[in-house]
Amino acid sequence: MKVSLQWLREHVELPGSVGALVDLLTLAGVEVEGVQSLGVAIPNVVVAEIQGRDPHPNADRLSVCRVDDGSGTLRQIVCGAKNFQVGDRVPVALPGAVLPGDFKIKVGKLRGVESQGMLCSADELGLPKGEDGLLILRNAPAPGTPLSDLFPADTVLDLEVTPNRPDLLSVNGIAREIGALTGKPVTFAAPGAVPAVPVHGGIRVFSEEACPFYSVREVRGVRVGPSPDWLRKKLESAGLRSLNNLVDITNLVLLETGQPLHIFDADKLEGALQVRAAVDGEEFKALDGRVHRLKAGQIVIADQNAPQAVAGVIGGESSGVTESTTRVFLEAAVFQPASVRRTARALGISTDSSYRFERGVDPAGVLEASQRAFELILELAGGEAGSFSAGKPAAVSEPVPILLREARLASLLGVTIESTEVCRILAGFGLREEAGGWVPPSFRPDLVREVDLVEEVARVVGMARIPGRTHARFVAASESDRRYDLAMGLRRACAAQGMCEARSLTLVPAEPLGGAYTGVPADEWIRVKNPMIDDQVVLRPNLLHGLLKAVSANAQNGPVRLFELGRVFRRGAVEETLHLAFVLSGAVSERTWRSPAGPDSDLYELKGIVGAVLGDGLDFVPEEDSALALCVQVRKGGRVLGRLGQLWPADARSLDARAPVIFGELDLESVANLEGRAVKYCEIPRYPAVTRDIALVGDAGVHHAEIERVIRGVGESLLEGVELFDVYRDPTGQKLPADRKSLAYSLTYRSAERTLTAEEVNAAHGRLREALVSQLGLGVRE
Amino acid sequence: MDSQIDQLRVEALQQIAQATDEAGLDAIRVQFLGRSGSISLLSEGMKSLPKEDKPRFGKLLNDARTAVTSALDEARTELQARADRAAFSGVDVTLPGIARAQGALHPITQLQDRAVQIFRRMGFALADGPDIETEFHCFDALNTPADHPARNEQDTFYFQDGRLLRTHTSSVQIRTMESAVPPIRIIAPGAAYRRDEIDATHLAQFTQMEGLYVDSNVSVADLKGTLEFFFRELLGSDAQFRFRPHFFPFTEPSYEVDIRTRALGNADRWLEIAGCGMVDPAVFEAVNGRRGDRAFDPEKVTGFAFGFGLDRLAMILSGVPDIRLFTDNDQRFLRQF
Repeated sequence: MKVSLQWLREHVELPGSVGALVDLLTLAGVEVEGVQSLGVAIPNVVVAEIQGRDPHPNADRLSVCRVDDGSGTLRQIVCGAKNFQVGDRVPVALPGAVLPGDFKIKVGKLRGVESQGMLCSADELGLPKGEDGLLILRNAPAPGTPLSDLFPADTVLDLEVTPNRPDLLSVNGIAREIGALTGKPVTFAAPGAVPAVPVHGGIRVFSEEACPFYSVREVRGVRVGPSPDWLRKKLESAGLRSLNNLVDITNLVLLETGQPLHIFDADKLEGALQVRAAVDGEEFKALDGRVHRLKAGQIVIADQNAPQAVAGVIGGESSGVTESTTRVFLEAAVFQPASVRRTARALGISTDSSYRFERGVDPAGVLEASQRAFELILELAGGEAGSFSAGKPAAVSEPVPILLREARLASLLGVTIESTEVCRILAGFGLREEAGGWVPPSFRPDLVREVDLVEEVARVVGMARIPGRTHARFVAASESDRRYDLAMGLRRACAAQGMCEARSLTLVPAEPLGGAYTGVPADEWIRVKNPMIDDQVVLRPNLLHGLLKAVSANAQNGPVRLFELGRVFRRGAVEETLHLAFVLSGAVSERTWRSPAGPDSDLYELKGIVGAVLGDGLDFVPEEDSALALCVQVRKGGRVLGRLGQLWPADARSLDARAPVIFGELDLESVANLEGRAVKYCEIPRYPAVTRDIALVGDAGVHHAEIERVIRGVGESLLEGVELFDVYRDPTGQKLPADRKSLAYSLTYRSAERTLTAEEVNAAHGRLREALVSQLGLGVRE
Repeated sequence: MDSQIDQLRVEALQQIAQATDEAGLDAIRVQFLGRSGSISLLSEGMKSLPKEDKPRFGKLLNDARTAVTSALDEARTELQARADRAAFSGVDVTLPGIARAQGALHPITQLQDRAVQIFRRMGFALADGPDIETEFHCFDALNTPADHPARNEQDTFYFQDGRLLRTHTSSVQIRTMESAVPPIRIIAPGAAYRRDEIDATHLAQFTQMEGLYVDSNVSVADLKGTLEFFFRELLGSDAQFRFRPHFFPFTEPSYEVDIRTRALGNADRWLEIAGCGMVDPAVFEAVNGRRGDRAFDPEKVTGFAFGFGLDRLAMILSGVPDIRLFTDNDQRFLRQF
């Protein structure tokens, strides 16, 4: 809502400065979003008439003008503009004037020719930029007239009015609020008494719920023409364009009172007006020139043939005011906010009218607004009163008094406010104290309950007077606390592995990257019905989309080491689950002066990271999946947590990755369930360990996991650890047949009770070797 | 005999002093103390001495042996120390340090965790709710019925089944009150969504921190004390506050909190940081209706709620010019935090 201070001053005395007014409104809950200066407030800028124009002797682009500034002596001014002719009136800044930007005007020489001032363009004076060159003043008053007479200085505040305060969508309402806050009297132009409205059979309201009140006033013999200056300026200060006197009057009254009005060209209507629901598919051409197909239930004002206006939203083109209009119907009505809102949304139209009806107009002010507009029409467009009719009498519901209990006020605010002050505040806002409580004025539909009055008092009292109070309570950790701590612990563990935490958008494209890698079927993806852009259509079914995208984004800048912990979404009994995902691509460690770059990250590194982050007891089970070059399932206690893998090189290349892309994604729901047990102490070994190495040779297809399973399967009580320290194949076949593989293990033996003898160790080692040879057919190199 | 011992000792000590490496010292040891070394031979010769001379001579010989041995040990220690010093002299300690690859938590996570830690000190527990919400939890129960001007469907992502992506974390207020009874003291960090044009300050998704305190006798004074304490802890003790009356459907009275503090680089102007207010009785009644009891009778309990955005706060605190940097996941950005 834009409001001019000059306009407000017609109704109420304002604080001494714009800043003070801004603070007053802001601290009362009316946010000031902008302050704009209008007009010219610069002394020594006057109207001048150009009497002569000669080329500058030393500069092609300049001309030397002789201008009449009203002083009686012609003034010589050098000018660079081209858009004027002798006889034009333009603004001149006389020496001593200071233009915006602290630009001081002095007598000076331009390329050797004296210039006694400056002819100005609109933007040089701080006015809205118009045509290029000088501001040509058409129909300007005599030379010498101060320019501030033509463009009076004004300040316009842009107010953010919250939806609970429809009364502030009008100049009168804002003036009233300022008066209530400052205690200054407020005056309004009071229209004459409204004549009694005959309920006229000619108007039929079929949708009384959507239209509680409807009235039209006929004016005959009006002359449509331009509006007077004062009216135009008022509309412009609010950001509206002047159209013609009739339309301008309705807009003025809307700005003044907040009551939207509409004018029909009565001669374009056929038969009686009716307020009815549109027929589904009915066509309506609006004032904005667009044709709308209406839906059933949308309320229209129609004549006997067709809709002439969408109720409270926009008028129709066919019955709009034109230059030839002579007889009009002035509509003043109340439409139900929800109905106007639904219709305006559906049609994609928001007008000053619909905006106010959506929030609610003052039912007691409708006829007054109508009277005000009616009087202005007679004054500015002439004509004489015709019929005045309404669908039914204006229904103003009797307001219910609201009780405000002192104790309730004190307990909600945390401070006691004297009852005299409470009375002063509420009376200031126009409430009336009665036996049963406070009766709110008709323009404050937001005041219904006790707490609404508490808020009014709190607004005026201000937070500064309420003391801050702090106290805590003991609270038990919630399930959310435990999940949060688990998540933060995992995040820190991942960061300790040298990975950065990514946070990606939850909405991903219809075909998210990595969809195939986590094995989530597409029918489990959850799509939004009304996406904004193609990139944000599906709620991410996994975290890989964001991380794989990040691989592309980071590929040019060295190794990628990222993790993300967040929600993923899948159709099913549990829709939202917490996942943890990783992506690695590139050297494990960067090159330094001391050592070359480490090897590229591979699946084994990620297995190590996952083990370090999630702790012991994980099983990594090989899995075949044609979508992936390598894949292992991660299990804990038999539950599948997720999978780790390596992309096919072609897929990695399509991400612009420069090294193998290794990823993993795990469901943390099962992890969360496994956590929370205290770690149990294991005794630190007191006796030395003995290690024996063994190199096993077998088919290239033999897997480490099988070997380890056999070793563990023997159940050797002295065996403490199995460490694979070398894997060897010889493609040349020189040291080892090319289809064979050698795996070298270091086996650790220890007893908790004694130092082992060589014989004991040899015996144990022999049993293991025997098992490997007999069960897997491996050869042994020692 | 005495002079012989003395001479050997002097000779040995001289040679030791001149030795330049450990091999030289070993040779000297063999030459004097070895089985057939000079000093050993003299002790052999002791057998031929008269009985009364033996103790004195034996002591002299022993002293010489001890002196040579300790001289050898000292010389060896000194030679090793010299070699050690040589090994370290001239080492270029100006070579760059070698760091292990550093990981980092996301700046939003870090800010969120700081906020969580402060609220935990103040006696708040965490609460949670789904991103996919019902209209009831996101709007209706929060006193924003259909057709309310504050209920902006245009700005809301919907699903086919009528549910939506929560437009604020305030839905967690309802979820919490449905399943617990007063006193309630919770915070809920989480994602919220708005169908907004994407630019340097807007994403369709943002991170909020919601708070709710419901108990008997909770007042505006508690709200003020709580938020002022929290933001002073987060942003510095110089923070100044302005509680500006505002409108939210689910609180009354409602305020927006403006803050001035050096940490935000705005000691001279107010920045809107949070929204808050006293829980509207209509919200309690909606919860009661759902619960089927009067656990949240507005005559018996009152409460305050607040919410603020973490993304914008992080942007201001760290001078991040574009909100999209938070979700671009450029490691050069992430490593800075």
